[in-house]
Amino acid sequence: MAEDSTRARALLAEAIGAEPALVPHDARIGVFERWDSLAHLRLILAVEQQIGRQLDPDEAIAVECLDDVARLLNGRAAG
Amino acid sequence: MALATGKPVLLQTERFELRSMRPIDASDRWVGWARDPEVMGPLNSPVVQMSRDELSKFLATSDNVNRYIVGIFDKVSRIQVGFFMVDVDNGHHLATFNVVIGEKEWWGKGVINEARAALLDHFFEQVGVEKACGQPLARNFPAVLNYKAQGWRHEGTQRAQRRSVSGGPRLDQYQFGLLRDDWREARRKAT
Repeated sequence: MAEDSTRARALLAEAIGAEPALVPHDARIGVFERWDSLAHLRLILAVEQQIGRQLDPDEAIAVECLDDVARLLNGRAAG
Repeated sequence: MALATGKPVLLQTERFELRSMRPIDASDRWVGWARDPEVMGPLNSPVVQMSRDELSKFLATSDNVNRYIVGIFDKVSRIQVGFFMVDVDNGHHLATFNVVIGEKEWWGKGVINEARAALLDHFFEQVGVEKACGQPLARNFPAVLNYKAQGWRHEGTQRAQRRSVSGGPRLDQYQFGLLRDDWREARRKAT
């Protein structure tokens, strides 16, 4: 899980065009302002590329924070 | 053409002026958005070769009672960057929000939530709306992010709710809602 958290943080960093160190470990939609609409698009598409399939709507809607992204990368449902 | 019978919207935010559109506000800029697949695709709206006259007729459907079409104008350049269409069910005090940001250089710059916050204040406090609704397509991820970041609640998922205009599989759609009391509480906490 720790590795998935690191990957999740790296994906969000790439989505916002910043170094991973600039992404808070507790980054969350609505709180971390740089996690904006286009960053979210890039993040979800990157997750789908990593796991090799499209997220179903229940999975996609459940993404609220970095832990949710890590769970998806780990093969478990978010939320 | 329908007559605009209600009170027009005129609001200011930090960066934008929001105002009710009239048939004479039809512009080549707006017509161009309807022809742009990058603008229309995420909305599952067909790319159409609309004329200014046809756009004027669409704008005439706004009566500022049951339907509001509100332009978003950059205060600095005075250029229109997009518009909201808000359909109000006055019987149930319910407003359904739709939005298009046609000027792509404004994408990802917080236009929607800045403008929508002012509209929510207006419809909740001036028009008497008690609940706002939004229905983005499930794969319109930027729109979904905006609803979540603004505190709207995901109330349900409608599977295969829409036919794809591009001919692909049917599309899932989310239902988001925001109650007036929840918005007031969020505003109170933010100040």
